[in-house]
Amino acid sequence: MSNLLEVNHLAVSFSTEEGEVQVVRDVSFSLKKGETLAILGESGCGKSVLCKSILRILPENGSIKSGEVILNGENMTKLSPKSMDRVRGKEISMIFQDPMTLLNPTITIGKQIMEAVLIHQKISKSAAKKKSIELMELVGLDDAENRHAQYPHHFSGGMRQRSVIAIALACNPKVLIADEPTTALDVTIQAQILELIQEIQAKTGISIIFITHDLGVAAQLAQRIAVMYAGKIVEIGTAQDIFYDPRHPYTWGLMSSLPKIDSDEGLLNCISGMPPNLLHLPRGDAFAQRNKYALKIDYLAEPPMFKISATHSAATWLLHQDAPKVQPPVRFQGL
Amino acid sequence: MNDVIYLGKKVIQFVLVIVLLSIIVFYMSRLSPGDPLMSYYGDGVERMNTAQKLEAMDKLGLNAPIYKQYIDWLANAAHGEYGISYKYKQDVTVVIGDVYKNTIILGGLAYTLNFLLALLLGIFCTLHEDQTIDKIICKVGVVTSCIPSFWVSLLLILIFSINLGILPSSGAYALGQSNNLTSRIGHLVLPLTVLVLSHLWYYTYMIRNKLVEEIRQDYVLLCKVKGLNKKQIVYKHCLRNIMPSYITIMAISVPHILGGTYVVEKVFSYPGLGSLCFESAKYHDYNMLLVLCLITGILVVFVNMLAQVINDKIDPRMKHDRSEIDWNCNTATSI
Repeated sequence: MSNLLEVNHLAVSFSTEEGEVQVVRDVSFSLKKGETLAILGESGCGKSVLCKSILRILPENGSIKSGEVILNGENMTKLSPKSMDRVRGKEISMIFQDPMTLLNPTITIGKQIMEAVLIHQKISKSAAKKKSIELMELVGLDDAENRHAQYPHHFSGGMRQRSVIAIALACNPKVLIADEPTTALDVTIQAQILELIQEIQAKTGISIIFITHDLGVAAQLAQRIAVMYAGKIVEIGTAQDIFYDPRHPYTWGLMSSLPKIDSDEGLLNCISGMPPNLLHLPRGDAFAQRNKYALKIDYLAEPPMFKISATHSAATWLLHQDAPKVQPPVRFQGL
Repeated sequence: MNDVIYLGKKVIQFVLVIVLLSIIVFYMSRLSPGDPLMSYYGDGVERMNTAQKLEAMDKLGLNAPIYKQYIDWLANAAHGEYGISYKYKQDVTVVIGDVYKNTIILGGLAYTLNFLLALLLGIFCTLHEDQTIDKIICKVGVVTSCIPSFWVSLLLILIFSINLGILPSSGAYALGQSNNLTSRIGHLVLPLTVLVLSHLWYYTYMIRNKLVEEIRQDYVLLCKVKGLNKKQIVYKHCLRNIMPSYITIMAISVPHILGGTYVVEKVFSYPGLGSLCFESAKYHDYNMLLVLCLITGILVVFVNMLAQVINDKIDPRMKHDRSEIDWNCNTATSI
């Protein structure tokens, strides 16, 4: 199966008063049809910026420095703003973290969904209304006929996130980027929204990029997982690879920081230290300072991606043929 | 029922403000130094002896204590008699009836033009935010709005009336041509230009900044994801959301532009309420001054209240809040 979306060597920078901040550095990955890729990483590692740069909706001071985003064989970084407007919503769509502020408070939910339907399709208003009610039913909003005429302030957080999903799905896009869509919701609603996303994927065969810092969510949803650290993908592979055979010390750190229900340790494990300042990146591997297994070379040169298997690769010098063999400190015992 | 109480409150508020205004103007005009007889008898006052002056004052009803004069005036006003103008020796209403249309035409046109152009220019600047054209308009706008309107008037008179001789410098129409439309339009050009030049930027800047702020709201991100371009987002979403504050600004600015009209009328000797107001204050034409102040006051207070009412109607969230409070009240009473 060929790749629907391909990101090759993408680099994104923000220009600030203090200098250039390299938020995404040389990121490459691909997405197949009907597949879910989870992008895992801690806050500020560049997950959201990566996705916004795919859609080219970065804030004004952010720009794509190099690399390409290829959707259906077309390089989106080269498209004119006008053609880009035609791609957004129609080919690729996105949902966000906080649904509370994402809807225009002065326009009814129905109209906002209709707008998304009408923008890429030449159909009549009444047909658009019918389609928008169908969409509302698809995302599990009860009493869609009446809800259609209500304003965002009549909706709860979970209902607003459902409405946002309906808007994102309005033109049957091929790729949906979900930027931590459950973070702002409470736990029971989180589970419902995750289920909804899975249901929709089963119905429509849409490909999903799911950004999260929740390992459990990633395990539940994703076929493939990419782990990001300081703007780079440090390890990428199938969910199986990442959970049962992690190779990067950062992934080990993430796994061991998961609380275990049957453990009677007093303290939770954590990765010591802080993520590096993206404004002044250290020489060599960005993770070296926090890495218990850092080699001398980690402070001198950035590790390349080492291929472990056809689906699995990681960027750490430990995988180099001359590196000492290290026993991973964690064994995945299930979530 | 609630609407009736709401309206009743507004009416009481309105009447109170107007009565207060009339008392203040009544007292202030009579307490200010100067001789009201001058405006009635002209230079003849100088030939009068003290007894004659006293008699004349009696005739005009100016010897009684001010509060008594006020009560008399109020009693007459209740019958629709607002007194005579000392200067014109005619009923105040007759004098005003001759010129009020001129002010409505000038002020109304200035008001409409200001807000129409401000809206268009504000949108234009927002769409070209931080581009050269936007920066140029901003700089030019600041300069034009900083020049005092009476000075601009004189400058325009110098250029267009004296040097070029293409536009008239004073009046509302050429002598004996009060029904000649071309003459009237020709006389309106310069005063209108001054009114627009001196007020336009103030409102344009407000709209530009409101829109620039609005376009950074979260919901705009979702609009972009839908595939709307900047123009569509501004017209369909942002504009609608800044409308409540825009309408409030429009209402509050009625006195601002009206005041500007009065100044410009004076400079261009344009026969309108402004020139009349200035004269009546100068010549102690008490009845005239009071009525003109009341007309202005009623207009200002009325539009401010209107703005409030419109504001409540436009923003669905405000309506919602009120109905929620009603609901709470009802349950409280039923318990």
